[in-house]
Amino acid sequence: MNNDFVIKVEGLGKKYLLNANLQERSDTLYGNVINNIKNLKNIGNKKQTEEFWALNNVSFNIQRGDRVGIIGRNGAGKSTLLKILSQITPPTKGRIEINGRIASLLEVGTGFHGDLSGRENIYLNGSILGMSKHEIDKRFDEIVDFAEIEQFLDTPVKRYSSGMYVRLAFGVAAHLSPDILIVDEVLAVGDSTFQKKCLGKMEQVSETEGRTILFVSHSIETVLRLCNKGLLLEKGQLKTAGSINEVTRSYLDTKSGVSSFKSWEKDERPGNDITKLISVKIHNEKDEVNEEYDIVKPIGVTMEYEVLKDGEVFTHSYNFYNENGINIFNTHDTVSEERTKPRKKGVYSTTMWIPGNLLAEGAVLVNVATIKIEPFTILMHEKECVSFTVIDYMRGDSARGNYILGFPGAVRPLCQWDTKYKG
Amino acid sequence: MYREFLYFTSIFVFHGKFCPKPGKVKFLSETKIIIDANSSSFFSLKEIVRYKNLLNNLARRDFLVRYKQAFAGIMWALIKPLINILVFGYISVKINGSADAATNFVDVASAILLWQLFSSVFNDVSNSIIGNANLFSKVFFPKIIIPLSTILVCLVDFFISLIILVVLFILSGQSLHWQIVLAPLFILLTILNGFGIGLYFATINVKYRDVKFIVPVMVQFGMYVSPVIFSTHYYLERLPQWAHWIFCLNPMVGAIDGFKYCLFGGDAIYNSSYFIVSLCVSFLFLIIGIKYFYKFERNFVDYI
Repeated sequence: MNNDFVIKVEGLGKKYLLNANLQERSDTLYGNVINNIKNLKNIGNKKQTEEFWALNNVSFNIQRGDRVGIIGRNGAGKSTLLKILSQITPPTKGRIEINGRIASLLEVGTGFHGDLSGRENIYLNGSILGMSKHEIDKRFDEIVDFAEIEQFLDTPVKRYSSGMYVRLAFGVAAHLSPDILIVDEVLAVGDSTFQKKCLGKMEQVSETEGRTILFVSHSIETVLRLCNKGLLLEKGQLKTAGSINEVTRSYLDTKSGVSSFKSWEKDERPGNDITKLISVKIHNEKDEVNEEYDIVKPIGVTMEYEVLKDGEVFTHSYNFYNENGINIFNTHDTVSEERTKPRKKGVYSTTMWIPGNLLAEGAVLVNVATIKIEPFTILMHEKECVSFTVIDYMRGDSARGNYILGFPGAVRPLCQWDTKYKG
Repeated sequence: MYREFLYFTSIFVFHGKFCPKPGKVKFLSETKIIIDANSSSFFSLKEIVRYKNLLNNLARRDFLVRYKQAFAGIMWALIKPLINILVFGYISVKINGSADAATNFVDVASAILLWQLFSSVFNDVSNSIIGNANLFSKVFFPKIIIPLSTILVCLVDFFISLIILVVLFILSGQSLHWQIVLAPLFILLTILNGFGIGLYFATINVKYRDVKFIVPVMVQFGMYVSPVIFSTHYYLERLPQWAHWIFCLNPMVGAIDGFKYCLFGGDAIYNSSYFIVSLCVSFLFLIIGIKYFYKFERNFVDYI
């Protein structure tokens, strides 16, 4: 008996049948009747259904105490996997072994009834989520505290504000005591204070109580913060499983297909007869090449190139794009001495430093170029050759301060703020 | 006043209160779960007992919600059957023209109450699965809990409406028979009838919503081919011999006749072999309903 895994999944598959005639379906009754008559002719023919594997041949193990982030694009099969694990829908193939008590939180407020009071709903919802009456009694005060609804306990929940409603719902769910907690995008609801509270509660549950958490989110930041292991799903297949950094890296790679360092073989070097690119790398102040860089620290971008002709004058340029394809900024060398001198043949290296507290969190793609300014000519331009990820380690020293949730924007400078009392 | 009544009834029926009460800590799911493509579940009392907390809470929810924001509140559980009894009782007495109008009236009243129990169980069970789709598509629990909880709610209504029968029984000066102790058996049979057929339709309802139109028609039609307004004697004396068997294939014939026999004694059961046929049909429907339900239960979420 091997007891150190809590979930063991072998060859899991889930098939759905799609109706191939679906596009022909009409919205009107008349159209439907006509279609049905048309279909009558096809009787005896094979039914026109198409198979769709939402999950196919997925196998993995999850150890006790792991916090596993499940990531993947829309339609990758994340929700299907959670639904199968929480026994809501059966698999078509494969086998799952679960050691321990499992509770799923696929939606906050499942089973709440607007006409019942907060107190009644706590008991109802608790029992739906699998708590016994005694457990609910024991945790009742904690739940009410968490939800901050003491004075409204006997009011029907349909009279609650939406914030109170969500807090109550999460409160019940967060005080469950399963060995394995499955959480699907519940943080999409509620205000930021609430989200912070929920995240904190989940961290506490896994760290101090040693429970296993399976967490699905589209926010890479949240996953990175909360989880230590990851599963990457792509088109129903398990692409990567391992540490969360590895998996998020692989997820971002599937978007960009490149990493922090790239070099070219002698005869594959991009460029023209004047300059040829040898390598590009992203590194930190200690010259270490990582996949992730601290948001508050400067990031170095170094290119190595070969000059094939004597006497050419040119400068260097980088363009930066984020994962949404937005051009964050462009820069070219206007300061180094070499840029104005005619070059000798040979190998050069040039480094540009992106200041700390400039880029926003997320993946960044880099284009590299050598250009002549007068007249403007592009000598060499290599698109999307390296990429890296900027991460906020949430120490409170970045532009986030103590705010930990979604933070849009292409750049994130640490700005100067002055507030004066004007009477 | 209704509110207190509601409260006490719910305590009485669901034995338990919302307020904290110490009990044993129970874990609802096994420590080891195996899910595979071919595993299937079947009706298990153990499982139902394990989820009885949920069963109670769902029933309590449905019961409390049913009469919320209704001015007459739980009185509707009395008013509705009372109106039916008055109308159909009057019709029956007029048409039968029997000498003992009071007995005839009580007789019809007992049949109507039992029929209403059947029709509400049948109707509510057949709509219960799709009505609670938001629950089982988010959280796992044995789905049989849902139709079972609707039965509890129908039972509460039934017990409330029994008050009418007791009053009529006393007013019309009926005497009690020893058979009265068997009456709960026929109430149970009525519930099983509604449950069995209801489960079958609840399963169909997952894919075809036509059920919500069919069930009321069946209930309405069923009332005229069951010994509700008129006794089995009345029907069988007017039907040709070959149609007797068809009449008795109706599972409610056995339940209503049996119930009347318990209350009034005498010759309520027309013919014991017809009675047994009806009982067999009841259990056949129950088995078919449960089998059919469990055959598709696991895949409900994919079709809802």
